[in-house]
This record gives sequence, structure tokens and C-alpha cells, in this order.
Amino acid sequence: MALIALNEITKYYEMGTQVVKALDGIDVEIERNEYVAFIGSSGSGKSTMLNILGCLDRPTGGQYHLNGNNVENLNQNQLSEIRNLEIGFIFQSFNLLPRATALGNVMQPLIYRNIPFRKRKEMATRALARVNLADRTDHLPNQLSGGQRQRVAIARALVTHPSILLADEPTGNLDSRTTVEIMQLFDELHAEGHTVIMVTHEDEIAAHCKRVIEMKDGRIFQDSTQATAEIH
Amino acid sequence: MLFSLLESCRSALLSIYAHGLRSFLTTLGIVIGVASVIAVISITQGLRVFVSQQFASLGTNSLTVRSYTPIEDRMQGINRRLTPEDLDLIERRIDGIASITPILFANRASQVKYGSQTSYSQIMGTTYAFQDVAQFYTTQGRFLADSDNSTRRRIAVIGDTVRENLNLPENPVNEFIELGGEWFRIVGLLETKGDIMGFSQDDRVLVPYATMQSLQGNQARTDIQIQLSLSETAEVEDVISQLTTLLRNAHDLNSNEDDDFVIETAEQMMDTFDAILGVVTVVIGGIVGISLLVGGIGIMNIMLVSVTERTREIGICKAIGAKRHHILLQFLIESMFLSLLGGLIGLGLGFGLGVLIANNIPSFPPAAIPVWAAALAMGFSAFVGILFGILPAAKAANLDPIDALRYE
Repeated sequence: MALIALNEITKYYEMGTQVVKALDGIDVEIERNEYVAFIGSSGSGKSTMLNILGCLDRPTGGQYHLNGNNVENLNQNQLSEIRNLEIGFIFQSFNLLPRATALGNVMQPLIYRNIPFRKRKEMATRALARVNLADRTDHLPNQLSGGQRQRVAIARALVTHPSILLADEPTGNLDSRTTVEIMQLFDELHAEGHTVIMVTHEDEIAAHCKRVIEMKDGRIFQDSTQATAEIH
Repeated sequence: MLFSLLESCRSALLSIYAHGLRSFLTTLGIVIGVASVIAVISITQGLRVFVSQQFASLGTNSLTVRSYTPIEDRMQGINRRLTPEDLDLIERRIDGIASITPILFANRASQVKYGSQTSYSQIMGTTYAFQDVAQFYTTQGRFLADSDNSTRRRIAVIGDTVRENLNLPENPVNEFIELGGEWFRIVGLLETKGDIMGFSQDDRVLVPYATMQSLQGNQARTDIQIQLSLSETAEVEDVISQLTTLLRNAHDLNSNEDDDFVIETAEQMMDTFDAILGVVTVVIGGIVGISLLVGGIGIMNIMLVSVTERTREIGICKAIGAKRHHILLQFLIESMFLSLLGGLIGLGLGFGLGVLIANNIPSFPPAAIPVWAAALAMGFSAFVGILFGILPAAKAANLDPIDALRYE
């Protein structure tokens, strides 16, 4: 069975009397170790797509199976648990906890799994070493550069060994040189066997991915697999 | 659960520390409330310890019987009295008395003169038994003797305050003082006893009971107090009931009439004092309750601000797997710590205040703070913190992760 299976997923928002169809019948399957980009202009529904995939939001209709679990009818607490176990989020604006050090940020998701401090620290240190930040563990987010912050965020996503790495415009706030670094990191993670799904509106970013799903008006417009990733 | 609890505590302390000044100002209401209650309690408890020591020195097994005139009777000009006949009756008929003594208070201006000095003191006519009953002993000279009474000798035993007021020498024995126009030779100086509830026990002049009686103008209206101490085996309650029956019969009281005398024990006086302290404590407690309520609302207010400020953080935590109870616990603990911190500062401040007040009022007993009061203050602070933390914590826990993440 596919890692992610979306069947007839819809998401409607009511804006006054008007109903906005953010997602209007999505059928998609994503296998383990795929490298997928959702692209599309703003308003195409890709952010909603990300929220649904990340179990932050529940669809209005349709079925969503994640790693064999049906996640449609779960309550907020159960969704929290799914997010903790299955999903590693990487946000455009990094979303680190400002008062916690790099190490503290990476340890945070492990708290919700009731892992003892010593073990947490060990796992977080390893995750930070993986993103080449072993020497920055005691720095606060505001003492780190944008690229370093995003790497802390990636370490935080990796530390729980999730089924999916879900990145929302991961390079949106970065300069072009750091963008290259971060995308290289994603390429490596994919090569190591991680399933990487990202949402972007930049073609250059999408070009790294093996599969590009273009969205338009809440529907899948094009789903294409490309051979290689080249940096233009 | 345990690890997330520890983590919540750490994070709460971190957050309080990060907003040091704000946390302090927020908790000021609690600080003031707890400080005032602790200050009052430490003073009243100190007072209580002091007073109970004083009562103990009075002799716990002594009784005082005095006449009591209801206010209605007094307005009709009727005065109830205890007479020397009552004294005789008690001496003869009551079991369990170790020693008994009448006390006759001067019924005119209690002027005492020595040379050109004049002072106003409590003049009491009593017998040698007074020293056993009231536990008063002399440091210089001797006490009143039985023979002084039978011969109506004009002698006096004085307290140390009287000696000071009259500029008498350190050893005043054999000096003469003037009481109501008569000369009395001083035969003894009493040991110093201090105050009981503001009444000096050292500002008194003791003269033989019979001497005092002969000096009183109207013999028919003599109203005495009777002090007695009980023998080792006697029960206070038993002696009180004997006394009541005896005196009611002697005074021809009908069963529907109230006693025209009161029997006081040191224990009763202590109880009265305790009752007064109890009322004071309750009143202070009420005021403090209001202060803690206001303090709690302050904490709730700032916690609501804090939740709004940290909406995005809450969103992040929820996105990476925090459940409702994780967020709820974190804010509840933060609010509890904030309030507890106020309680702790208040405890120190209140105790300091109590010590300061006690030290600055002369002859005031040292402040004492019972453990129960400290524990109660801390417990109540924590309770207020949790109570007023519920609303903000619930607000935080119920945030929608998407909205919270999008919050700028």
C-alpha cells in the first residue's frame, strides 16, 4: 500500500454565503522514498494540500490514508500524535521556538513522546550533527543565520524519524547561495531514503524533485515524473 | 507524562525569568496579600505566645470570683456585691482549695505620695495568702503576714513601678508612703512581672485586707474579689460548680435569675484572648482573600496576554506533536509558579515586616510565624495561580494549529 493515499479529497471553506473550494477532488498516491513537489500559483490550493497532508487540518470529504492509518475522523489530540510520529515539518519561516537553543528546539518533539532527557539530548545531538550544526547546539535561533535556522528546523523534523518530511516553501526566506545548500541537504536526505514532499512556487526548487504535481483551482492539473535534478 | 511535566516546569520558570519585571509586577498583588497576612499572623502569634506565658505565670489552677452587676441593674442603682461573709462561706464549705484570699480594691482616688512625689497606683487590700494564689513574691523585705491583718497594721508591699514613680530608693523597705492621708511603712518590694494585655502588674500597692477595710468609708457596701488556688487533686470544673451553687444559695437567687458573680480562670481569660485573636484573624483573612482575588485576576490578565504573544509558539508545538494537555499543563504550571513566587516573596516580606514592627514597639513580644501559616499561604497562592490560570491555559490549549501558525 502507498505511503500516502488521497481519495476524492475535498476542502471547502465558507466565506459568507460563498463556498470556496480550496481542494476539489484530489486523488494522489505517494510511495515511500518519493521526492515530490506540489507547485502552483497562489490560490491553487497547495497550502491547503500541505495542511491536509500534514494532518494539521481535516478534509471536508474524501479518504486519506497515511502509512496505513485512516486519518479522517481523528480528533485534535489524535492528529497531534500522528503529526508527532509520522510527519516532520519544515516551514518557510523556520518556526523555531525563540527562547530555546538549537538543541532545545530539536529536542522539543521528543518531549511529547516521553523520552527521557538524556536520550532526547543524544538523539537531538545526532540530528544536529547530520545537518552539520554540531558546533551550534547552544545557540539561540536569533544567533543563527537563516540557513542555519532552516537546518535546525530540518534536524527537528528528522529527529523523530518521521514517514514524511513535509516542507512548505523551505527556501522562501533564504538567499540563493543558502538555497543551494538547503536543497542539497534535501537531495541527500532523499538519497538516504527519506520521503520528501515540498510545496513551492519556484520552478528551480521543484526541479530538484523527481515528481512534480502542478495544482490549479483546487485540482491536480499535471502530475509528471522527471528524470534528473539539475540546478539551473 | 513525568518528562513533559518536568519540561513544563522548566519552560515555565524560563518564561517567568525571561519577563522578569513583568512577572514581578504581575505577582505584586499576591505579594502584598501574602505579606500582609503573614505580618499580621506573625505579630498575633508572637503576642499569643507571650500572653500564654504570662497567664501560665499567673498560676493555671487559680480562680478569681468577683461580683457582676448586669447593665439593667446598674441603671437602677443596684450593685451586686461579694461580701466578707461570702468569703467565710467559701472558706468553710468548698473542698479543694489550697489557699484563698480576699482582695479589696480602693474605692477612691488611689493616690500614693512619697515626699513631694505623687503617683496613682492600684491599691489592693489582701492577705498573706495572695502570694500563693497569685504567685507574687517579694525581692526585698517581706510579704504581708497574718498578724499584719489581725492587728490592722499600716504597712505596704509595693511593685517596682510604684517604687520608680515615687523615686524611692532601690531598697524601699522602711520608707513611709502616704495612702489616702494615712502613713504606711513599706515592708517589701514585689518582683517584676511585666504587663498582661497592657495592664501593668507592677504598678500596685498591697496593704493588709483588714487595714484596707477599716480605711473604706462605707462598710456596708464592701465589694471584694476573692482569689483562690486549688489543691493538687481538685478539678477546676468541680470547684466552679461548687462555688456557683454555694453563692447562688447565699445570694438567694431564683433559678430564673442569672448569676450575680463571675468566676474567672486563667484558662478562661486565655480563651477570651484567643477568641479576640480569632476574630482579628478572620477579618484579616477576608481582606487578604480580596487582595489575593485581585492578584489572581492580575495573573489571569497577564497570562492571557502571554498566550496571545506566544500563539505562534503554541502553533509550532502543536504542529510537532503537542497535545492539548501538554499546552494546558505548561500554562497552568507557569501561572502557578508565578503566583507561588509572589507567595514566597510575600512570605519573606511579611515576616520581615512582622519582625520590624515587633522590634520597634517597646516591650512587644518577638514575631513568630507558625509553619501552618506559611504552608497555608503557599498553598493558597498556588491555588489562586491554578484557578486563575485555567482560563488562559484552556484558551492556549484550544488554539487551532493552523490559525496559531499563521498568527503574526
